[in-house]
Amino acid sequence: MKLRKYFFYIFLGIGALTFLYPFIWMISASLAPENEIGNLIFLPSTISFGSFFQMFDKIPIGRAFLNSMLVSSSVTIGVLIFGSMVGYALSRLEFRGRDLIFYIIIFTMTLPFQITLIPQYILIVRFGWVDTYWGLIIPYLMNSLGIIMFRQYFKTIPQDLIDAARIDGCNELQIIFRILWPNSIPALVTVGIITFMASWNEVLWPLIVIRDEKLMTMPQLVTLFAVGGRAESQLGVKLAAATILALPIVIAYFFFQKYFIQSMASSGMKE
Amino acid sequence: MKYVKKIMFFIFTTAFISCNSNSDSKKIGLLYWSSNNTEEIEFARYIVDNWNKEHPSAKVVFQPVPEGQSSEEIILAAVVGKTTPDIYSNMWEGDVELYARAGTLVALDTLEGFKKFIYERCDSAVIQEVTSEDGHIYQLPWKINPVMMLYNTNIIKSLGFDKAPKTYSEFFEAAKRFQKDSDSDGYVDRWFGYSEVLVTWWQRFFDFYPLYLAASNGGSLIKNNRAVFNNEAALKVFEFLREVYKRNYFARERLSARQDVFLSSVIATRFTGPWEISHSEKFKPAGFEYDFQTMPVPDDHRGSTYTYGDPKNIVIFKSSPNPQLAWKFLQFILSEENDLKFLEITNQLPRRKMIDENPIYSSYFLKNPKMKTFAEQAKHVKGTDQSPVLKEVFDLISQEYEACVIYDKKTPKQALSDAEKAVNLLFLK
Amino acid sequence: MKKKITPYLLVSPYIIHFLVFVAFPVGFSIYLTFNDWNIISPMKFIGLSNYKRLFNDAIFWKSVFNTLIFLMIHIPLQIIIALFLAELLNQKIKLRGFFRGAFFLPVIVSGVVVTILWQQLYGYDTGLLNRLLIKIGLGKVGWLTDPSWAMPSIAVMATWKNVGLYIVLFLVGLQTVPLQYYEAADLEGATHIQKFFKITLPLINPTIFMVVVLSTIGGFSLFIEPYVMTGGGPLNSTISAVLYIYKQGFFYYHMGYAATLGFFFALIILSVVIMQKKFVEKDK
Repeated sequence: MKLRKYFFYIFLGIGALTFLYPFIWMISASLAPENEIGNLIFLPSTISFGSFFQMFDKIPIGRAFLNSMLVSSSVTIGVLIFGSMVGYALSRLEFRGRDLIFYIIIFTMTLPFQITLIPQYILIVRFGWVDTYWGLIIPYLMNSLGIIMFRQYFKTIPQDLIDAARIDGCNELQIIFRILWPNSIPALVTVGIITFMASWNEVLWPLIVIRDEKLMTMPQLVTLFAVGGRAESQLGVKLAAATILALPIVIAYFFFQKYFIQSMASSGMKE
Repeated sequence: MKYVKKIMFFIFTTAFISCNSNSDSKKIGLLYWSSNNTEEIEFARYIVDNWNKEHPSAKVVFQPVPEGQSSEEIILAAVVGKTTPDIYSNMWEGDVELYARAGTLVALDTLEGFKKFIYERCDSAVIQEVTSEDGHIYQLPWKINPVMMLYNTNIIKSLGFDKAPKTYSEFFEAAKRFQKDSDSDGYVDRWFGYSEVLVTWWQRFFDFYPLYLAASNGGSLIKNNRAVFNNEAALKVFEFLREVYKRNYFARERLSARQDVFLSSVIATRFTGPWEISHSEKFKPAGFEYDFQTMPVPDDHRGSTYTYGDPKNIVIFKSSPNPQLAWKFLQFILSEENDLKFLEITNQLPRRKMIDENPIYSSYFLKNPKMKTFAEQAKHVKGTDQSPVLKEVFDLISQEYEACVIYDKKTPKQALSDAEKAVNLLFLK
Repeated sequence: MKKKITPYLLVSPYIIHFLVFVAFPVGFSIYLTFNDWNIISPMKFIGLSNYKRLFNDAIFWKSVFNTLIFLMIHIPLQIIIALFLAELLNQKIKLRGFFRGAFFLPVIVSGVVVTILWQQLYGYDTGLLNRLLIKIGLGKVGWLTDPSWAMPSIAVMATWKNVGLYIVLFLVGLQTVPLQYYEAADLEGATHIQKFFKITLPLINPTIFMVVVLSTIGGFSLFIEPYVMTGGGPLNSTISAVLYIYKQGFFYYHMGYAATLGFFFALIILSVVIMQKKFVEKDK
């Protein structure tokens, strides 16, 4: 019996190594002096921050970080607010067209983005939102998955709570934010994490809408840095950029690992 | 509820203020966009300060082009978003036709004094080059950075040559002698030259295109909406490059992940421009010597050796409320004295005729002898054909280049013929 | 009567957003397919020219083909590895949280980071993989420079990135299998492997199907990896459909043609997903 357990641990260990080693290598290499990177396996001989300094010099990565924070936070807040508004209406209120809207939402989930990409860009141009934060935020304010999840979760909240609030004179918005939200923390966390992560890691849309470096999001900036000519002969700088890009999410992940995993898992189940 | 109202008010006020401040900046004099290269920004500052001193009532404000993936994209975004400046000075020659046809550029030849100015500045070949299909001229030649062959002087000497190779056979001979597997791991680690094996369209400016111009004495790729590059010269260039890669004289791998391979003598030559000089001076090891020479040509080549000049020109956008004033400013930028200042600050050649003989510039060339080589090459430099789909043409050629030269999956004849077909399809609307 | 309006007020932002950002784009997209437009010049009506061009566009079809190759390697690989590791995790072992956390890490990190990392792994001269191969006496492989290896290399990388998510999904699915089945099998002396194939696998079929559909939809949007790693080369072996559409629309500014490609590709995706659904329903 014990043999089998060792067998498991060995495979799991190899697995963990496969998934962790590249990141360890990346951090190592970004801290290594330029000429050692080519031959690096584990740790550099000395720690050098040269690559990082060069990177900060070449691209406004700090600014990009702030841009990403601004955009992703705004999108997340928007999705939470609007998602719960629609989710509430769909789950708790009776009105004509409710089912129609529900089917529309399902339909948009199955619609491949490839078909709306170009016209959405043209809309952004016509609104004058190219190279603006609006162009990055507004199209993502409504998230079908979020709405569905809220609807599902709100259905489980006891009707008495809502009725009591109504008797107290609350209007619908107050019901959502004062009653439903405090009782839907899991849903809020789940939708919040998924939305934030998806928004943070989104690259294609910023590549299309933002051309001015001052407004680029972090992944966008690093992508262009890696693909374009400016990082060409300097591997260390590229890796430093990648490390910095990974850092915020990984730090958040360290602290909230459980929530991350649960969120993604339950979103998959909903599909 | 009060909370919500307060927040809404705050948001609207902010939006209102930011909208207003945008429209304010448009009312200031002329807006001039320079490239965002440090030296060019310095030059722009100098020019604008001097102009503003002499013309206090017609001030010019300059901004470096917003930083982005490429300045070509930024300009397109500006045109699309209707935020174009009055004047832009870093327009790649190949982009102009697209904007001209869309009606976004001022036809400079309609401005007073233009014809005289341009005939003084440039020779007829250059003027022909920048004339659009409709007969108007939408761009004013500003600067060039000719692509030449950079070579390591000591290595060339050590291979037994007293001059760098000029023809294809000489090139092959030198490459053969230089090729080596120094650490005996079974893989060659010294190559005579290197060019990025990327399929990106502009990569061809550093291999195929200058070689083609050299072999064809400044031939065109497109004329009258047809591909004309499927000819002897292109064939010879493709064959040359294919052999070079086949025999592993150029590395197929991306060496750009390492330190500068030219300065570390991993390669002995490179097709590049004057910008290499300041880079090399900064980073070259002790005793390292280098110089520039014309691009290699086929053995039976006659006449001067042309090359690609990476020309950047100045344009005035139609959105400008005062093109005549903008034109005056342009003439100021391009005066003889200011051209000299440009040369000194940025080490890039103004595209004016006889720059190597004009006494005003001789002291500069005495101090910078390597630039003199480029100035002499400037007599035989070509930009690009005027076409709105030029990028795509280069992209299609690049794909055939990849298939034939790098991967040896097609013969040069087949590759060029396929490229020709694909390019002609572009014009078939 | 306020109650009657409120639901409509609540959903109105969504409706407006939907009309502006979904309904209008879909309609405009179809309209665009009949036009030639590069944004800065006026639109030109050209009828079915874009469709004609699409059918003759060897590169577009290659990009669709490439995307399918990617899926055919990525999906089976992902399922096998995810199932295997999930099954291991499902046993009574310590440090389960640590392992799960490690497997999941690549999922949350940006695709750009993963791509830059793997570029270093796959590099021909200085890449870690090739250096290892040389050390053990084998030759170098052109992971990204050989047209036959490039797309598979990208598929492996994509698997590495996403498998954590599917491990977690499978774990959830595995835990829904009632323990009695296993206990009953134990009584009959079944080995672990027999239990896995006869009990576990059939019962988690819905989870497997879900994983297939999610991976398929995700795979069809393959863009950032080829964009960063290979630019679509070598010899157009890694250009995905989305990358090609992006190039046509945002590099050459052939908006009409790009819209046509997008529309057509969306139809392909929908048909594949519908086919997958039908296939599963047949089994039931």
